[in-house]
Amino acid sequence: MFAYVVRRLMQSLIVLFIVLVFTFTLPYFEPHGILAPAYVVLGTKASPANVHTWGVQHGMFHPYLVRLWDYIVQVVWHHNLGFSYKQNLSVWGIISLYVPRTVWLALTALVLTFVIAVPLGIFQANKRNTVFDYTATGSAFILYAIPSFLLCLLVLQVFSFGITHLPASPPSGVAPWAIFTDPVGFILPVGTLTLLSVALISRFMRGTVLEVLVQDYIRTARAKGCSNRRVLFAHAFRNALGPIVTILGLSIPGLFGGALIIESVFNYAGLGIETVNAATYLDSPTVLGITLLVSIFTLLGNLIADILLGVVNPRIRIQGEQ
Amino acid sequence: MTTENTTQDLEDREVPHSPLAGPLDARTMAPEGVSDGPDVVIPMWRQRVRIFMHNKLAIASVVYLVLVTLFCFLWPHLHPTNQTNQNLALTQPFNAPPSAQHPLGTDSNGFDVLGRIAFGGEYSLTVGFLAGVVTIIVGTIYGMVSGFVGGIVDTVLMRILDAALSIPLLFLLITLVTLFSRSATFLILLIGLTGWFGNARIVRGDALLIRRLEYSQAATAMGASKWHIIRRHVFPNSISNIVTVGTFSVADAILFLSTLGFLGLGIQPPNTDWGTMLQNGSDQIANGYWWEIYPLAAIFILVVVAINYIGDALRDAFEVRLIER
Repeated sequence: MFAYVVRRLMQSLIVLFIVLVFTFTLPYFEPHGILAPAYVVLGTKASPANVHTWGVQHGMFHPYLVRLWDYIVQVVWHHNLGFSYKQNLSVWGIISLYVPRTVWLALTALVLTFVIAVPLGIFQANKRNTVFDYTATGSAFILYAIPSFLLCLLVLQVFSFGITHLPASPPSGVAPWAIFTDPVGFILPVGTLTLLSVALISRFMRGTVLEVLVQDYIRTARAKGCSNRRVLFAHAFRNALGPIVTILGLSIPGLFGGALIIESVFNYAGLGIETVNAATYLDSPTVLGITLLVSIFTLLGNLIADILLGVVNPRIRIQGEQ
Repeated sequence: MTTENTTQDLEDREVPHSPLAGPLDARTMAPEGVSDGPDVVIPMWRQRVRIFMHNKLAIASVVYLVLVTLFCFLWPHLHPTNQTNQNLALTQPFNAPPSAQHPLGTDSNGFDVLGRIAFGGEYSLTVGFLAGVVTIIVGTIYGMVSGFVGGIVDTVLMRILDAALSIPLLFLLITLVTLFSRSATFLILLIGLTGWFGNARIVRGDALLIRRLEYSQAATAMGASKWHIIRRHVFPNSISNIVTVGTFSVADAILFLSTLGFLGLGIQPPNTDWGTMLQNGSDQIANGYWWEIYPLAAIFILVVVAINYIGDALRDAFEVRLIER
């Protein structure tokens, strides 16, 4: 197990390095040249001399490999993810406040998704081709087709200005864990984010449980006289858990993408809003830092999912150790 | 998979169906009216079309998509409205409710909403469809090469794919769109070239599997070239996954374009796309100007539902177990 985790961590490091090099290289292909951010920072009418000075200050004229090495030193040695062009701060200094806010938002939604989607999928498989199943499948289909921002707007329209008057945005300027101490403001954003992933995961869970339910061991369990509930939640559930854990791991980038939209609509300062702002200011170090950070979360999520896969399905664990 | 290929070979040579096939043959389970006669093997693609045609909702989806496409591309010619003049609101009524002259009212810029739905739809549908095509082509080639060449090439290609999959797509798209341009061509390339990662992985899985199956091995033993095996065995047997996932890619591309539009990074004025229109309309939602958002929202959501549903029906049509043997 230990060797497996170490090997996977090494692989993740290689993947992270590829991500870093790729995102670092992107601004070089910018049509207006690598000095384009200077015109955002100094203004569109900045004199060529000032732009040149800005370029020298930010080491823009160093060779590519030297700049890449400098950046890697900043990330690995100083842990500050480089320096922002727009604000005179290190990238970590800018985003360290936002990271826990977005992570708590996404994590709460992830847990809620699991808690709601898994039983929903099992019930749908159990009651397949009934009105309940058709309704749930149909709703999932439509939810999956609604662009996330439109869903946010509809939710706002109905629950904030319509039948209930829940707050339209979470309280600002509060601690990152305000999601637990002051949950009322978070009901709509977290609920919408959950709804978005429940559509996908419950559909997937239904399919997986349907595949499990035709297996021989389910028939054996029924023949032994197990109650329907025991068959579903002891036998089918445990065997359907494997694919679900993998999918939950893979859904992390989507979750952050969803959080980006949720944050914009519900006006919750987090990584998402910061990304959009930084991108419009051509502040590539900040965007690079956030991308790198979210990639780390994704890779860690996948690693945890793969380890959990071994826990829920010992057959895979044995294969992995051989 | 093996049996499917055998059926294909049979069908190529027009060999009549074996009379030895027992009553429990799969075709007795085929939907009623599917069978042409007991002794004729129906070409596989026709069976697939039939299974697809039996799905009423799928037909409805196709009809709906055709109608929406026709509307988007023909309506501006049948009923021309000014959709590009940014100063229209100076002379025309803006935020006007539906009337005989403007069936769905006008928006905050004075544009006729019905005409604008068609105008923006041209961009949304074109970009979505072409981006989906780019996704299919790139994903298929990448997956085929990776799965079929194998070895160190496969390992390297898959690690690159891991890296690509761990970058959140939306973050990447926002970065690229702000860095480069927002022209329709660029958006097609961008959404297409960032959407194929999942497709490549599925095609690679198919290629890996089919390469090891007995008929591929047999073909290799008989001296078939790699290219022949890809063309004659691997590609035909993975086409179902390629087409099905490709259909979902088109829906995803349309959704991605709309999300970019919401962030103000979609098709730029004076042109527009559905996402940008929904964003503009959502600003007016609190004022009660429902015609600026709800009709378009309904059309848009149904388009994505229809494409996804066609993908589901295609998966059924390609499902070997439903094919009559």
